Amino acid sequence: MPVTGSPPDAVRTSGLRKAFRVKNEAVEAISGIDLTVAAGQIFGFLGPNGAGKTTTLRILTTLLPADAGEAFVAGADVRRSPQQVRRRIGYVGQLGGADASATGRENLLLQGRLYGMGAAETARRTDELIETFDLGAFAGRTARSYSGGQRRRLEVALGIMHRPPVLFLDEPTTGLDPQNRANLWDQLRELRGTGTTIFLTTHYLDEADQLSDRLAIIDHGRVIAEGTPAGLKQRYSGDTIDITPSLPPAGLPALEHDLASDPFVRSARTSGGSIRLSVTDATRAMSAVFSLLAGRGIGIRAASFAQPSLDDVFLRETGRSLRDAKEKVPA
Amino acid sequence: MTFALHTSLFFRRKLLETLRQPVWIVTGLSTPLLYLALFEPLLRSVAGGAGLPPGQVLDVFVPGILALMAFGAGMGAGWVVIWEMDSGVIERLRVTPASRLALLLGTVLRDVVMFAVPAVVVIAIAIGFGFNAHWGGLALMLLLLAALTASCSAASSALGIGLKQIGSLAAVVTGVQLPLTLLSGILLPLSLGPGWLQVLGHFNPMYYAVEAARDLTAGTITTATVGIGFGVTAAAAALALWWGTRSYHKAMV
Repeated sequence: MPVTGSPPDAVRTSGLRKAFRVKNEAVEAISGIDLTVAAGQIFGFLGPNGAGKTTTLRILTTLLPADAGEAFVAGADVRRSPQQVRRRIGYVGQLGGADASATGRENLLLQGRLYGMGAAETARRTDELIETFDLGAFAGRTARSYSGGQRRRLEVALGIMHRPPVLFLDEPTTGLDPQNRANLWDQLRELRGTGTTIFLTTHYLDEADQLSDRLAIIDHGRVIAEGTPAGLKQRYSGDTIDITPSLPPAGLPALEHDLASDPFVRSARTSGGSIRLSVTDATRAMSAVFSLLAGRGIGIRAASFAQPSLDDVFLRETGRSLRDAKEKVPA
Repeated sequence: MTFALHTSLFFRRKLLETLRQPVWIVTGLSTPLLYLALFEPLLRSVAGGAGLPPGQVLDVFVPGILALMAFGAGMGAGWVVIWEMDSGVIERLRVTPASRLALLLGTVLRDVVMFAVPAVVVIAIAIGFGFNAHWGGLALMLLLLAALTASCSAASSALGIGLKQIGSLAAVVTGVQLPLTLLSGILLPLSLGPGWLQVLGHFNPMYYAVEAARDLTAGTITTATVGIGFGVTAAAAALALWWGTRSYHKAMV
Protein backbone atom coordinates (compact mmCIF):
# COMPACT_ATOMS: atom_id res chain seq x y z
CA MET A 1 0.00 0.00 0.00
CA PRO A 2 1.26 3.48 -0.75
CA VAL A 3 2.06 5.39 2.43
CA THR A 4 0.52 8.80 2.01
CA GLY A 5 -1.49 11.24 4.10
CA SER A 6 -4.79 10.49 2.36
CA PRO A 7 -6.90 7.54 3.49
CA PRO A 8 -6.45 4.38 1.43
CA ASP A 9 -8.98 3.60 -1.26
CA ALA A 10 -11.86 1.56 0.07
CA VAL A 11 -11.42 -0.96 -2.73
CA ARG A 12 -8.63 -1.39 -5.23
CA THR A 13 -8.32 -4.35 -7.57
CA SER A 14 -6.17 -5.10 -10.54
CA GLY A 15 -6.41 -7.94 -13.02
CA LEU A 16 -8.87 -9.95 -10.95
CA ARG A 17 -9.79 -13.21 -12.66
CA LYS A 18 -11.86 -16.21 -11.71
CA ALA A 19 -12.98 -19.23 -13.69
CA PHE A 20 -15.45 -21.95 -12.69
CA ARG A 21 -15.73 -25.45 -14.01
CA VAL A 22 -19.05 -25.95 -15.75
CA LYS A 23 -19.51 -29.43 -17.21
CA ASN A 24 -15.76 -30.02 -17.25
CA GLU A 25 -15.15 -26.79 -19.06
CA ALA A 26 -13.52 -23.75 -17.49
CA VAL A 27 -15.78 -20.74 -17.88
CA GLU A 28 -14.36 -17.37 -16.93
CA ALA A 29 -16.75 -15.56 -14.61
CA ILE A 30 -14.53 -12.49 -14.45
CA SER A 31 -11.62 -11.80 -16.78
CA GLY A 32 -9.46 -9.00 -15.46
CA ILE A 33 -11.39 -6.61 -13.25
CA ASP A 34 -9.66 -3.31 -12.39
CA LEU A 35 -11.53 -1.12 -9.94
CA THR A 36 -10.80 1.78 -7.64
CA VAL A 37 -13.38 2.93 -5.14
CA ALA A 38 -12.55 6.04 -3.11
CA ALA A 39 -13.54 6.05 0.54
CA GLY A 40 -16.85 7.61 1.54
CA GLN A 41 -18.88 7.11 -1.61
CA ILE A 42 -21.66 4.87 -2.82
CA PHE A 43 -20.22 2.78 -5.62
CA GLY A 44 -22.62 0.97 -7.91
CA PHE A 45 -21.64 -2.20 -9.75
CA LEU A 46 -24.18 -2.51 -12.56
CA GLY A 47 -24.59 -5.43 -14.90
CA PRO A 48 -26.96 -8.14 -16.09
CA ASN A 49 -27.34 -11.44 -14.23
CA GLY A 50 -24.29 -13.62 -14.74
CA ALA A 51 -22.03 -10.70 -15.66
CA GLY A 52 -19.66 -11.46 -12.77
CA LYS A 53 -20.92 -9.04 -10.12
CA THR A 54 -21.43 -11.61 -7.38
CA THR A 55 -18.16 -13.37 -8.15
CA THR A 56 -16.28 -10.08 -7.80
CA LEU A 57 -18.08 -9.31 -4.56
CA ARG A 58 -17.32 -12.75 -3.15
CA ILE A 59 -13.63 -12.28 -3.88
CA LEU A 60 -13.63 -8.83 -2.24
CA THR A 61 -15.37 -10.20 0.86
CA THR A 62 -12.89 -13.13 1.25
CA LEU A 63 -15.52 -15.74 0.44
CA LEU A 64 -13.82 -16.90 -2.74
CA PRO A 65 -10.15 -16.93 -3.75
CA ALA A 66 -9.30 -15.25 -7.05
CA ASP A 67 -7.38 -17.21 -9.70
CA ALA A 68 -5.21 -14.19 -10.49
CA GLY A 69 -4.87 -10.51 -9.79
CA GLU A 70 -4.91 -8.66 -6.51
CA ALA A 71 -7.45 -6.90 -4.37
CA PHE A 72 -7.13 -4.54 -1.42
CA VAL A 73 -10.15 -3.75 0.71
CA ALA A 74 -10.03 -1.06 3.41
CA GLY A 75 -6.26 -1.14 3.10
CA ALA A 76 -5.82 -4.89 3.62
CA ASP A 77 -4.84 -7.53 1.08
CA VAL A 78 -7.75 -9.90 0.51
CA ARG A 79 -5.51 -12.88 -0.14
CA ARG A 80 -2.75 -12.30 2.43
CA SER A 81 -4.73 -10.83 5.32
CA PRO A 82 -8.33 -12.05 5.00
CA GLN A 83 -8.91 -11.72 8.76
CA GLN A 84 -8.05 -8.00 8.64
CA VAL A 85 -10.39 -7.52 5.70
CA ARG A 86 -13.19 -9.34 7.55
CA ARG A 87 -12.87 -7.08 10.57
CA ARG A 88 -13.14 -3.96 8.39
CA ILE A 89 -16.07 -4.85 6.16
CA GLY A 90 -19.76 -5.53 6.46
CA TYR A 91 -21.55 -7.80 4.01
CA VAL A 92 -25.19 -8.18 3.06
CA GLY A 93 -25.40 -11.11 0.67
CA GLN A 94 -27.93 -11.80 -2.01
CA LEU A 95 -29.37 -14.68 0.01
CA GLY A 96 -29.88 -12.48 3.03
CA GLY A 97 -28.20 -14.26 5.88
CA ALA A 98 -30.55 -13.65 8.80
CA ASP A 99 -30.86 -16.73 10.97
CA ALA A 100 -34.58 -17.52 10.74
CA SER A 101 -34.63 -19.65 13.89
CA ALA A 102 -33.23 -16.84 16.04
CA THR A 103 -34.94 -13.59 16.97
CA GLY A 104 -33.87 -10.33 15.36
CA ARG A 105 -32.27 -9.27 18.61
CA GLU A 106 -30.39 -12.56 18.99
CA ASN A 107 -29.12 -12.24 15.42
CA LEU A 108 -27.70 -8.80 16.19
CA LEU A 109 -26.24 -9.74 19.58
CA LEU A 110 -24.37 -12.72 18.10
CA GLN A 111 -23.05 -10.63 15.22
CA GLY A 112 -21.61 -8.00 17.58
CA ARG A 113 -19.87 -10.55 19.79
CA LEU A 114 -18.33 -12.28 16.76
CA TYR A 115 -16.63 -9.00 15.85
CA GLY A 116 -15.09 -8.79 19.30
CA MET A 117 -17.46 -6.21 20.75
CA GLY A 118 -18.08 -6.53 24.50
CA ALA A 119 -21.44 -7.68 25.85
CA ALA A 120 -22.49 -4.20 27.06
CA GLU A 121 -21.37 -2.44 23.89
CA THR A 122 -23.11 -5.07 21.75
CA ALA A 123 -26.36 -4.60 23.67
CA ARG A 124 -26.17 -0.81 23.28
CA ARG A 125 -25.46 -1.05 19.57
CA THR A 126 -28.27 -3.60 19.12
CA ASP A 127 -30.79 -1.22 20.70
CA GLU A 128 -29.49 1.57 18.49
CA LEU A 129 -29.90 -0.48 15.31
CA ILE A 130 -33.33 -1.75 16.32
CA GLU A 131 -34.30 1.92 16.67
CA THR A 132 -32.64 3.05 13.40
CA PHE A 133 -34.13 0.28 11.31
CA ASP A 134 -37.49 0.36 13.05
CA LEU A 135 -37.29 -3.28 14.15
CA GLY A 136 -38.66 -2.69 17.65
CA ALA A 137 -42.11 -4.18 17.14
CA PHE A 138 -40.78 -7.62 16.19
CA ALA A 139 -37.17 -7.78 17.43
CA GLY A 140 -38.21 -10.41 19.97
CA ARG A 141 -39.78 -12.71 17.37
CA THR A 142 -37.86 -15.28 15.36
CA ALA A 143 -36.86 -13.92 11.94
CA ARG A 144 -38.84 -16.72 10.28
CA SER A 145 -41.97 -14.64 10.84
CA TYR A 146 -40.60 -11.44 9.23
CA SER A 147 -41.88 -9.97 5.98
CA GLY A 148 -39.40 -9.48 3.13
CA GLY A 149 -38.87 -5.82 3.97
CA GLN A 150 -38.44 -6.47 7.70
CA ARG A 151 -35.95 -9.21 7.05
CA ARG A 152 -33.93 -7.06 4.67
CA ARG A 153 -33.75 -4.28 7.29
CA LEU A 154 -32.47 -6.77 9.85
CA GLU A 155 -29.88 -8.00 7.35
CA VAL A 156 -28.58 -4.52 6.62
CA ALA A 157 -28.43 -3.87 10.38
CA LEU A 158 -26.38 -7.09 10.74
CA GLY A 159 -24.02 -5.83 8.04
CA ILE A 160 -23.22 -2.60 9.89
CA MET A 161 -23.33 -3.95 13.47
CA HIS A 162 -19.61 -3.38 14.01
CA ARG A 163 -19.55 -0.01 12.18
CA PRO A 164 -17.39 -1.24 9.30
CA PRO A 165 -15.71 1.41 7.13
CA VAL A 166 -16.76 -0.50 3.99
CA LEU A 167 -20.15 -2.14 3.45
CA PHE A 168 -20.82 -4.57 0.59
CA LEU A 169 -24.36 -5.29 -0.56
CA ASP A 170 -25.25 -7.82 -3.24
CA GLU A 171 -28.49 -6.90 -5.05
CA PRO A 172 -29.90 -5.37 -1.88
CA THR A 173 -33.27 -4.27 -3.26
CA THR A 174 -34.15 -7.33 -5.33
CA GLY A 175 -37.59 -8.50 -4.29
CA LEU A 176 -38.44 -5.39 -2.29
CA ASP A 177 -41.57 -3.36 -2.96
CA PRO A 178 -41.11 0.31 -4.03
CA GLN A 179 -41.73 1.63 -0.53
CA ASN A 180 -39.12 -0.59 1.13
CA ARG A 181 -36.76 0.07 -1.75
CA ALA A 182 -36.97 3.84 -1.28
CA ASN A 183 -36.46 3.43 2.48
CA LEU A 184 -33.35 1.33 1.95
CA TRP A 185 -31.93 3.92 -0.46
CA ASP A 186 -32.44 6.60 2.20
CA GLN A 187 -30.76 4.47 4.83
CA LEU A 188 -27.77 3.83 2.57
CA ARG A 189 -27.44 7.56 1.86
CA GLU A 190 -27.51 8.27 5.60
CA LEU A 191 -24.85 5.65 6.09
CA ARG A 192 -22.67 7.34 3.48
CA GLY A 193 -23.20 10.55 5.47
CA THR A 194 -21.41 8.90 8.41
CA GLY A 195 -18.38 8.17 6.24
CA THR A 196 -19.11 4.56 5.33
CA THR A 197 -18.11 3.44 1.85
CA ILE A 198 -20.90 1.47 0.21
CA PHE A 199 -20.23 -0.99 -2.60
CA LEU A 200 -23.41 -2.40 -4.05
CA THR A 201 -24.23 -4.57 -7.02
CA THR A 202 -27.45 -4.10 -8.91
CA HIS A 203 -29.06 -4.94 -12.20
CA TYR A 204 -31.52 -2.05 -11.85
CA LEU A 205 -30.68 0.91 -14.06
CA ASP A 206 -32.50 3.45 -11.91
CA GLU A 207 -30.86 2.17 -8.75
CA ALA A 208 -27.37 2.54 -10.17
CA ASP A 209 -28.28 5.92 -11.61
CA GLN A 210 -29.93 7.52 -8.60
CA LEU A 211 -28.05 5.94 -5.73
CA SER A 212 -24.41 5.75 -6.78
CA ASP A 213 -21.83 8.51 -6.72
CA ARG A 214 -19.75 6.48 -9.12
CA LEU A 215 -20.43 3.27 -10.93
CA ALA A 216 -18.86 0.62 -13.06
CA ILE A 217 -20.79 -1.30 -15.67
CA ILE A 218 -19.80 -4.95 -16.02
CA ASP A 219 -20.63 -7.38 -18.77
CA HIS A 220 -19.24 -10.85 -19.53
CA GLY A 221 -16.71 -10.51 -16.71
CA ARG A 222 -15.22 -7.19 -17.81
CA VAL A 223 -15.74 -3.60 -16.75
CA ILE A 224 -16.99 -1.87 -19.90
CA ALA A 225 -17.53 1.63 -18.53
CA GLU A 226 -16.79 3.53 -15.35
CA GLY A 227 -17.56 7.01 -14.04
CA THR A 228 -20.25 9.11 -12.43
CA PRO A 229 -23.78 8.38 -13.65
CA ALA A 230 -24.07 11.87 -15.21
CA GLY A 231 -20.60 11.69 -16.76
CA LEU A 232 -21.22 8.28 -18.28
CA LYS A 233 -24.53 9.25 -19.77
CA GLN A 234 -22.98 12.42 -21.18
CA ARG A 235 -19.88 10.75 -22.52
CA TYR A 236 -21.51 7.74 -24.07
CA SER A 237 -24.93 8.84 -25.14
CA GLY A 238 -24.17 12.35 -26.26
CA ASP A 239 -27.54 13.69 -27.22
CA THR A 240 -30.69 11.80 -27.83
CA ILE A 241 -33.73 12.90 -29.82
CA ASP A 242 -37.19 11.36 -29.75
CA ILE A 243 -39.34 11.91 -32.83
CA THR A 244 -42.97 10.85 -33.23
CA PRO A 245 -43.90 11.22 -36.91
CA SER A 246 -47.52 11.12 -38.06
CA LEU A 247 -47.07 7.81 -39.86
CA PRO A 248 -48.73 4.42 -39.48
CA PRO A 249 -46.39 1.95 -37.67
CA ALA A 250 -45.70 0.14 -40.95
CA GLY A 251 -43.96 3.21 -42.32
CA LEU A 252 -41.57 3.62 -39.40
CA PRO A 253 -38.78 1.11 -40.25
CA ALA A 254 -38.11 2.71 -43.63
CA LEU A 255 -37.99 6.16 -42.06
CA GLU A 256 -35.73 4.89 -39.27
CA HIS A 257 -33.36 3.55 -41.89
CA ASP A 258 -33.26 6.85 -43.76
CA LEU A 259 -32.71 8.85 -40.58
CA ALA A 260 -29.87 6.57 -39.51
CA SER A 261 -27.94 7.46 -42.66
CA ASP A 262 -27.91 11.13 -41.75
CA PRO A 263 -24.31 12.19 -40.88
CA PHE A 264 -25.37 13.64 -37.52
CA VAL A 265 -27.15 10.44 -36.45
CA ARG A 266 -25.14 7.68 -34.78
CA SER A 267 -27.93 5.20 -34.29
CA ALA A 268 -31.68 4.96 -34.53
CA ARG A 269 -34.20 2.61 -33.03
CA THR A 270 -37.97 2.45 -33.09
CA SER A 271 -40.04 1.79 -30.04
CA GLY A 272 -43.77 2.29 -29.84
CA GLY A 273 -44.73 4.92 -32.38
CA SER A 274 -41.55 6.97 -32.05
CA ILE A 275 -37.99 6.82 -33.24
CA ARG A 276 -35.13 7.42 -30.82
CA LEU A 277 -31.99 8.86 -32.38
CA SER A 278 -28.58 9.01 -30.79
CA VAL A 279 -26.89 12.02 -32.39
CA THR A 280 -23.57 13.84 -32.31
CA ASP A 281 -24.97 17.35 -32.33
CA ALA A 282 -28.55 17.68 -31.20
CA THR A 283 -29.36 21.11 -32.61
CA ARG A 284 -28.04 20.45 -36.10
CA ALA A 285 -29.43 16.94 -36.13
CA MET A 286 -32.85 18.24 -35.16
CA SER A 287 -32.95 20.69 -38.06
CA ALA A 288 -31.67 18.01 -40.47
CA VAL A 289 -34.42 15.66 -39.26
CA PHE A 290 -37.06 18.37 -39.62
CA SER A 291 -36.04 19.20 -43.20
CA LEU A 292 -35.92 15.49 -44.17
CA LEU A 293 -39.44 14.98 -42.86
CA ALA A 294 -40.71 18.27 -44.38
CA GLY A 295 -39.25 17.29 -47.76
CA ARG A 296 -41.38 14.12 -47.66
CA GLY A 297 -44.47 15.82 -46.40
CA ILE A 298 -44.47 13.83 -43.13
CA GLY A 299 -45.96 15.69 -40.20
CA ILE A 300 -44.48 15.59 -36.68
CA ARG A 301 -46.66 14.78 -33.67
CA ALA A 302 -43.93 15.24 -31.10
CA ALA A 303 -40.20 15.90 -30.96
CA SER A 304 -38.06 16.17 -27.87
CA PHE A 305 -34.53 16.01 -26.58
CA ALA A 306 -34.57 12.84 -24.51
CA GLN A 307 -32.65 12.26 -21.29
CA PRO A 308 -30.05 9.63 -22.00
CA SER A 309 -30.14 6.64 -19.62
CA LEU A 310 -27.51 4.18 -18.42
CA ASP A 311 -29.15 1.68 -20.73
CA ASP A 312 -27.98 3.83 -23.65
CA VAL A 313 -24.45 3.48 -22.26
CA PHE A 314 -24.83 -0.28 -22.02
CA LEU A 315 -26.35 -0.43 -25.49
CA ARG A 316 -23.50 1.55 -27.02
CA GLU A 317 -20.86 -0.69 -25.43
CA THR A 318 -22.44 -4.09 -25.93
CA GLY A 319 -25.00 -3.68 -28.70
CA ARG A 320 -27.60 -5.11 -26.30
CA SER A 321 -30.07 -3.50 -23.97
CA LEU A 322 -29.46 -4.22 -20.29
CA ARG A 323 -33.17 -4.92 -19.97
CA ASP A 324 -32.90 -8.04 -22.11
CA ALA A 325 -29.27 -9.05 -21.60
CA LYS A 326 -29.25 -12.75 -20.81
CA GLU A 327 -27.41 -14.81 -18.29
CA LYS A 328 -24.06 -16.20 -19.35
CA VAL A 329 -22.61 -18.29 -16.53
CA PRO A 330 -24.21 -19.49 -13.33
CA ALA A 331 -22.00 -17.58 -10.93
CA MET B 1 -9.84 -16.41 24.33
CA THR B 2 -11.67 -15.60 21.12
CA PHE B 3 -11.92 -19.19 19.91
CA ALA B 4 -13.56 -20.40 23.14
CA LEU B 5 -15.92 -17.40 23.14
CA HIS B 6 -16.97 -17.99 19.54
CA THR B 7 -17.47 -21.70 20.18
CA SER B 8 -19.71 -21.00 23.16
CA LEU B 9 -21.65 -18.36 21.19
CA PHE B 10 -22.30 -20.78 18.34
CA PHE B 11 -23.13 -23.56 20.81
CA ARG B 12 -25.71 -21.34 22.49
CA ARG B 13 -27.18 -20.38 19.12
CA LYS B 14 -27.59 -24.04 18.16
CA LEU B 15 -28.98 -25.04 21.55
CA LEU B 16 -31.63 -22.29 21.32
CA GLU B 17 -32.51 -23.48 17.84
CA THR B 18 -33.13 -26.99 19.19
CA LEU B 19 -35.07 -25.83 22.23
CA ARG B 20 -37.39 -23.94 19.89
CA GLN B 21 -38.25 -27.21 18.12
CA PRO B 22 -39.27 -29.46 21.03
CA VAL B 23 -40.52 -32.13 18.63
CA TRP B 24 -36.89 -33.22 18.09
CA ILE B 25 -36.32 -33.47 21.81
CA VAL B 26 -39.36 -35.72 22.09
CA THR B 27 -38.34 -38.05 19.25
CA GLY B 28 -34.75 -38.09 20.52
CA LEU B 29 -36.08 -39.74 23.64
CA SER B 30 -39.05 -41.71 22.37
CA THR B 31 -37.12 -43.60 19.66
CA PRO B 32 -34.67 -45.34 22.03
CA LEU B 33 -37.44 -46.03 24.53
CA LEU B 34 -39.51 -47.65 21.80
CA TYR B 35 -36.52 -49.82 20.87
CA LEU B 36 -36.27 -50.90 24.50
CA ALA B 37 -39.97 -51.58 24.79
CA LEU B 38 -40.56 -53.25 21.43
CA PHE B 39 -37.25 -54.82 20.40
CA GLU B 40 -35.86 -56.02 23.71
CA PRO B 41 -38.65 -58.65 24.13
CA LEU B 42 -37.68 -60.07 20.72
CA LEU B 43 -34.06 -60.32 21.79
CA ARG B 44 -35.06 -61.98 25.02
CA SER B 45 -36.74 -64.77 23.09
CA VAL B 46 -33.69 -65.47 20.89
CA ALA B 47 -31.14 -65.14 23.72
CA GLY B 48 -28.77 -68.01 24.30
CA GLY B 49 -26.34 -67.68 21.40
CA ALA B 50 -22.71 -66.51 21.65
CA GLY B 51 -22.47 -62.97 23.03
CA LEU B 52 -26.12 -62.88 24.07
CA PRO B 53 -26.44 -64.80 27.34
CA PRO B 54 -29.98 -65.21 28.62
CA GLY B 55 -30.74 -62.97 31.58
CA GLN B 56 -28.25 -60.35 30.39
CA VAL B 57 -29.99 -59.23 27.24
CA LEU B 58 -30.28 -55.62 28.42
CA ASP B 59 -26.56 -55.47 29.26
CA VAL B 60 -25.79 -56.24 25.61
CA PHE B 61 -28.64 -54.30 24.09
CA VAL B 62 -28.45 -50.97 25.98
CA PRO B 63 -24.91 -50.06 24.77
CA GLY B 64 -26.09 -50.79 21.23
CA ILE B 65 -29.11 -48.54 21.59
CA LEU B 66 -26.91 -45.79 23.03
CA ALA B 67 -24.57 -46.07 20.03
CA LEU B 68 -27.58 -45.80 17.74
CA MET B 69 -28.64 -42.65 19.61
CA ALA B 70 -25.14 -41.22 19.16
CA PHE B 71 -25.32 -41.88 15.42
CA GLY B 72 -28.81 -40.37 15.14
CA ALA B 73 -27.96 -37.28 17.19
CA GLY B 74 -24.98 -36.55 14.96
CA MET B 75 -26.29 -37.32 11.49
CA GLY B 76 -28.99 -34.62 11.54
CA ALA B 77 -26.45 -31.78 11.32
CA GLY B 78 -26.12 -31.82 7.53
CA TRP B 79 -29.77 -30.98 6.90
CA VAL B 80 -29.59 -27.78 8.88
CA VAL B 81 -26.30 -26.78 7.26
CA ILE B 82 -27.86 -27.02 3.79
CA TRP B 83 -30.76 -24.91 4.91
CA GLU B 84 -28.35 -22.38 6.44
CA MET B 85 -26.35 -22.20 3.22
CA ASP B 86 -29.50 -21.61 1.18
CA SER B 87 -30.60 -18.79 3.45
CA GLY B 88 -27.16 -17.14 3.42
CA VAL B 89 -26.43 -17.64 7.12
CA ILE B 90 -23.21 -19.55 6.51
CA GLU B 91 -22.05 -16.96 3.99
CA ARG B 92 -22.69 -14.14 6.45
CA LEU B 93 -20.85 -15.94 9.24
CA ARG B 94 -17.95 -16.73 6.90
CA VAL B 95 -17.46 -13.00 6.30
CA THR B 96 -17.10 -12.40 10.05
CA PRO B 97 -13.72 -13.09 11.70
CA ALA B 98 -15.23 -16.14 13.46
CA SER B 99 -13.18 -19.33 13.39
CA ARG B 100 -14.60 -22.00 11.08
CA LEU B 101 -13.77 -24.68 13.61
CA ALA B 102 -15.77 -22.75 16.23
CA LEU B 103 -18.68 -22.59 13.79
CA LEU B 104 -18.52 -26.36 13.29
CA LEU B 105 -18.06 -27.07 17.00
CA GLY B 106 -21.17 -25.09 17.91
CA THR B 107 -23.25 -27.71 16.10
CA VAL B 108 -21.07 -30.64 17.21
CA LEU B 109 -21.33 -29.73 20.90
CA ARG B 110 -25.07 -29.19 20.66
CA ASP B 111 -25.39 -32.65 19.10
CA VAL B 112 -23.28 -34.16 21.89
CA VAL B 113 -25.65 -32.63 24.46
CA MET B 114 -28.63 -33.86 22.46
CA PHE B 115 -27.11 -37.34 22.66
CA ALA B 116 -25.99 -37.25 26.29
CA VAL B 117 -29.17 -35.97 27.97
CA PRO B 118 -31.57 -38.57 26.55
CA ALA B 119 -28.82 -41.21 26.97
CA VAL B 120 -28.78 -40.64 30.72
CA VAL B 121 -32.57 -40.90 30.82
CA VAL B 122 -32.52 -44.15 28.83
CA ILE B 123 -29.84 -45.59 31.13
CA ALA B 124 -31.86 -44.67 34.21
CA ILE B 125 -34.97 -46.33 32.82
CA ALA B 126 -33.03 -49.42 31.69
CA ILE B 127 -31.55 -49.82 35.16
CA GLY B 128 -35.10 -49.97 36.50
CA PHE B 129 -35.69 -52.93 34.19
CA GLY B 130 -32.63 -54.87 35.25
CA PHE B 131 -29.73 -53.33 33.31
CA ASN B 132 -26.53 -53.97 35.30
CA ALA B 133 -24.04 -51.22 34.76
CA HIS B 134 -20.62 -50.52 36.13
CA TRP B 135 -20.57 -46.81 37.00
CA GLY B 136 -16.98 -46.00 36.03
CA GLY B 137 -17.37 -47.96 32.82
CA LEU B 138 -20.66 -46.24 32.08
CA ALA B 139 -19.06 -42.80 32.41
CA LEU B 140 -16.25 -43.80 30.06
CA MET B 141 -18.75 -45.26 27.64
CA LEU B 142 -20.67 -42.00 27.51
CA LEU B 143 -17.40 -40.21 26.75
CA LEU B 144 -16.66 -42.69 23.96
CA LEU B 145 -20.12 -42.33 22.45
CA ALA B 146 -19.94 -38.53 22.75
CA ALA B 147 -16.86 -38.76 20.51
CA LEU B 148 -18.87 -40.95 18.13
CA THR B 149 -21.64 -38.33 18.08
CA ALA B 150 -19.04 -35.64 17.33
CA SER B 151 -17.65 -37.69 14.41
CA CYS B 152 -21.11 -38.21 12.93
CA SER B 153 -22.10 -34.58 13.41
CA ALA B 154 -18.94 -33.16 11.82
CA ALA B 155 -19.12 -35.66 8.95
CA SER B 156 -22.79 -34.86 8.37
CA SER B 157 -22.04 -31.11 8.22
CA ALA B 158 -19.22 -31.75 5.77
CA LEU B 159 -21.49 -33.93 3.63
CA GLY B 160 -24.23 -31.32 3.67
CA ILE B 161 -21.85 -28.55 2.60
CA GLY B 162 -20.35 -30.72 -0.10
CA LEU B 163 -23.59 -32.12 -1.52
CA LYS B 164 -25.57 -28.86 -1.25
CA GLN B 165 -28.89 -30.62 -1.92
CA ILE B 166 -31.18 -32.10 0.73
CA GLY B 167 -32.10 -34.94 -1.63
CA SER B 168 -28.49 -35.98 -2.25
CA LEU B 169 -27.70 -35.84 1.45
CA ALA B 170 -30.74 -37.95 2.31
CA ALA B 171 -29.69 -40.55 -0.27
CA VAL B 172 -26.13 -40.75 1.07
CA VAL B 173 -27.10 -40.83 4.75
CA THR B 174 -29.80 -43.47 4.38
CA GLY B 175 -27.43 -45.40 2.10
CA VAL B 176 -24.68 -45.62 4.71
CA GLN B 177 -26.93 -45.85 7.75
CA LEU B 178 -27.97 -49.46 7.31
CA PRO B 179 -24.52 -51.00 6.66
CA LEU B 180 -22.90 -48.82 9.33
CA THR B 181 -25.38 -49.70 12.05
CA LEU B 182 -25.94 -53.37 11.18
CA LEU B 183 -22.22 -54.06 10.70
CA SER B 184 -21.41 -52.56 14.08
CA GLY B 185 -23.61 -55.03 15.93
CA ILE B 186 -25.82 -52.35 17.37
CA LEU B 187 -29.01 -54.37 17.44
CA LEU B 188 -27.47 -57.83 17.70
CA PRO B 189 -23.80 -58.61 18.43
CA LEU B 190 -21.87 -59.63 15.31
CA SER B 191 -20.52 -62.60 17.24
CA LEU B 192 -23.91 -64.21 16.63
CA GLY B 193 -23.32 -64.10 12.88
CA PRO B 194 -21.12 -66.07 10.46
CA GLY B 195 -17.41 -65.38 10.14
CA TRP B 196 -17.63 -63.32 6.95
CA LEU B 197 -20.04 -60.91 8.66
CA GLN B 198 -17.59 -60.46 11.53
CA VAL B 199 -14.81 -59.77 9.05
CA LEU B 200 -16.90 -57.14 7.31
CA GLY B 201 -17.58 -55.49 10.67
CA HIS B 202 -13.88 -54.88 11.15
CA PHE B 203 -13.95 -52.41 8.26
CA ASN B 204 -16.55 -50.32 10.05
CA PRO B 205 -15.20 -47.74 12.52
CA MET B 206 -18.46 -47.82 14.47
CA TYR B 207 -18.00 -51.51 15.17
CA TYR B 208 -15.03 -50.80 17.45
CA ALA B 209 -16.96 -48.15 19.39
CA VAL B 210 -19.90 -50.51 19.97
CA GLU B 211 -17.64 -53.41 21.03
CA ALA B 212 -15.78 -51.11 23.45
CA ALA B 213 -19.08 -49.75 24.78
CA ARG B 214 -20.21 -53.30 25.67
CA ASP B 215 -16.94 -54.01 27.50
CA LEU B 216 -17.18 -50.73 29.37
CA THR B 217 -20.76 -51.23 30.56
CA ALA B 218 -19.74 -54.67 31.79
CA GLY B 219 -17.02 -52.99 33.85
CA THR B 220 -14.08 -54.50 31.98
CA ILE B 221 -12.24 -51.28 31.36
CA THR B 222 -8.66 -52.29 30.69
CA THR B 223 -9.26 -54.56 27.70
CA ALA B 224 -7.64 -54.22 24.30
CA THR B 225 -11.14 -53.84 22.82
CA VAL B 226 -11.66 -50.68 24.90
CA GLY B 227 -8.28 -49.28 23.91
CA ILE B 228 -8.92 -49.93 20.22
CA GLY B 229 -12.45 -48.50 20.51
CA PHE B 230 -11.15 -45.25 21.94
CA GLY B 231 -8.31 -45.08 19.44
CA VAL B 232 -10.49 -45.65 16.38
CA THR B 233 -13.24 -43.30 17.56
CA ALA B 234 -10.79 -40.52 18.46
CA ALA B 235 -9.14 -40.84 15.05
CA ALA B 236 -12.55 -40.76 13.33
CA ALA B 237 -13.53 -37.66 15.32
CA ALA B 238 -10.29 -35.87 14.48
CA LEU B 239 -10.67 -36.72 10.79
CA ALA B 240 -14.32 -35.64 10.71
CA LEU B 241 -13.57 -32.34 12.49
CA TRP B 242 -10.78 -31.62 10.02
CA TRP B 243 -13.09 -32.44 7.11
CA GLY B 244 -15.91 -30.33 8.53
CA THR B 245 -13.68 -27.32 9.17
CA ARG B 246 -12.23 -27.56 5.70
CA SER B 247 -15.75 -27.70 4.26
CA TYR B 248 -16.78 -24.57 6.17
CA HIS B 249 -13.74 -22.78 4.71
CA LYS B 250 -15.13 -23.32 1.22
CA ALA B 251 -18.88 -23.47 1.83
CA MET B 252 -20.64 -21.96 -1.16
CA VAL B 253 -24.13 -22.33 -2.54
